[in-house]
Amino acid sequence: MKQIILITDGCSNVGVSPVVAAAHAQAEGITVNVVGVLDDGDIGEFGAAEINEIAAAGGGLSRLVHMRELARTVQMMTRKTVMHTIQNAVHKELQQVLGTSSIESLPPGKRGDVVRMMDELGETAPLRVALLIDASASMKPKLQAVEEAIRDLMISLQARQGKSEISVFHFPGPRYGDDCCMDLGWTSTLSGIPALFAKLQMQGTTPTGPALLEVIDFYRKDDYGRKNRDGTDGMKSGYVV
Amino acid sequence: MATSFDPGLSPGMVITGKWKQGSYRIDRLLGEGANGKVYLVEHHRGQYALKVGSDAVDLQSEVNVLQSLALQTKGSAESFLVEVDDFQHPDGRTYPFYVMRYVRGMLLADYLEREGSDWFPLVGFHLLGKLANLHEAGWVFGDLKMENVLVADYGRSQLVDYGGVTAVGKSVRQFTEIYDRGYWSAGSRKADAGYDLFSFAVLFIQLFERRRFSQLVHTLLPQNRVPEELLKLVRTNTTLSPLEEWFSRAFAGEFASTREAAAAWQLQLHQSGIKRRSAPAPRWMKRLFIASALLLTITIILMIRVGM
Ligand SMILES: Nc1ncnc2c1ncn2[C@@H]1O[C@H](COP(=O)(O)OP(=O)(O)OP(=O)(O)O)[C@@H](O)[C@H]1O
Repeated sequence: MKQIILITDGCSNVGVSPVVAAAHAQAEGITVNVVGVLDDGDIGEFGAAEINEIAAAGGGLSRLVHMRELARTVQMMTRKTVMHTIQNAVHKELQQVLGTSSIESLPPGKRGDVVRMMDELGETAPLRVALLIDASASMKPKLQAVEEAIRDLMISLQARQGKSEISVFHFPGPRYGDDCCMDLGWTSTLSGIPALFAKLQMQGTTPTGPALLEVIDFYRKDDYGRKNRDGTDGMKSGYVV
Repeated sequence: MATSFDPGLSPGMVITGKWKQGSYRIDRLLGEGANGKVYLVEHHRGQYALKVGSDAVDLQSEVNVLQSLALQTKGSAESFLVEVDDFQHPDGRTYPFYVMRYVRGMLLADYLEREGSDWFPLVGFHLLGKLANLHEAGWVFGDLKMENVLVADYGRSQLVDYGGVTAVGKSVRQFTEIYDRGYWSAGSRKADAGYDLFSFAVLFIQLFERRRFSQLVHTLLPQNRVPEELLKLVRTNTTLSPLEEWFSRAFAGEFASTREAAAAWQLQLHQSGIKRRSAPAPRWMKRLFIASALLLTITIILMIRVGM
């Protein structure tokens, strides 16, 4: 299962539309969730609308939250998306096997069996979450909360039985014209997280769309590498949506 | 992220199960949470609690846990889970629900407020016993918090909301930050007995140090969120300080089992001389005293009148 969590506080302003980029992600089996993070200010009408549209195109969830709620929101989104991904896959199976597409239409006994299997998959299926952090100037006071949310997510993922990894990116990159920069490659430990953004130079532009495309590319290259190595993408294809 | 969910049920309405045709008359709303609403209902002349889910899958997960528990504890007590079904609302939508035993009780804080804090050791002991039963069956409660413990007569406590219940060894399904071991940098979110004991300890601190606890939660920086800060509250509280060692072991995950934790709870409270401690007289005693004093006065007056 593959997810991207975009954490931002405003509108994109350069490059390809993030909505288009998110639709690309969705087409490659990556769910895009978006958190709009506020301090005491407001995100603005356009920011809020864009956040919803990105998530809709990326098949994920969107939430506008205060910094204080960031950790909890990221944690719950990830969990919900895992269940949702499995639910979609199960719906397809149900359609094929039973000719019914919804869990609700099963009698309570059968429903119990299906949900038990879903819970089991939710706990054991391999999971990757790429966090993409908006590091435009206005995000600076929020980065500590972002770091805390990443740490918190790692604690939750470490408790899963299935292999769980995160990677962290921020945008824009350090040099002029860089859309995105990787801070942490796939990892399942907490060690790289403290001081993740300590040396970060805040930039003015917000290339959300191009940055999303880079993360998709990162997933793609990585999957390609793994396929060549062991001929599997880590999850039985039947479950991938 | 709670989205308000309203199955549109009002007192007096009767709902009928789609699969098993049982009928339930809604009495009133008992409570609500992230996963649904719980109503007091009448069914076959008895009172039950009926939970309507906002999500069929989440509700079914909860039912699965309750069903496994019912199988494991067969014969020991009357079953908690009574029925599982769906109902069709007049508006055409179908909602899943389950029916469980109605737990008549009040929140821990309200109970101690009313009956006096002399009851707290016993309430704690009962609750540890409930947790121990669950743990011995291979489950962890997960979302232990103020709202999920109801206390009935004589300090008997009961857990409600099985949405967080997790098989030992899996990741805790649902938790509330301030009671969470991971939040306090004190360990993982993998379900084990120690996870619940940690939440239990936080719960009792919150009970007796409500203000300072909430202040702590709001002011501590994440990197300083450690159990030592909680222990400071224990040490300076006269009710909790005799249990300092107990709390420190709970935070460090040092109890080998929940039975051991329960035994240690009793031992430390009694060593500290709980029996000798003279607590301020609870209200019932004051009331009793006033009543008997009044009776005495009346008797004396009567005696004088009659001229004895
Ligand atoms: N069996 C019961 N008897 C009496 N009251 C109950 C019972 N079950 C639940 N309640 C009441 O209803 C409230 C909400 O129920 P519950 O906690 O199961 O809902 P939830 O949606 O899972 O909540 P949460 O968001 O805490 O997970 C409880 O806090 C409690 O006050």
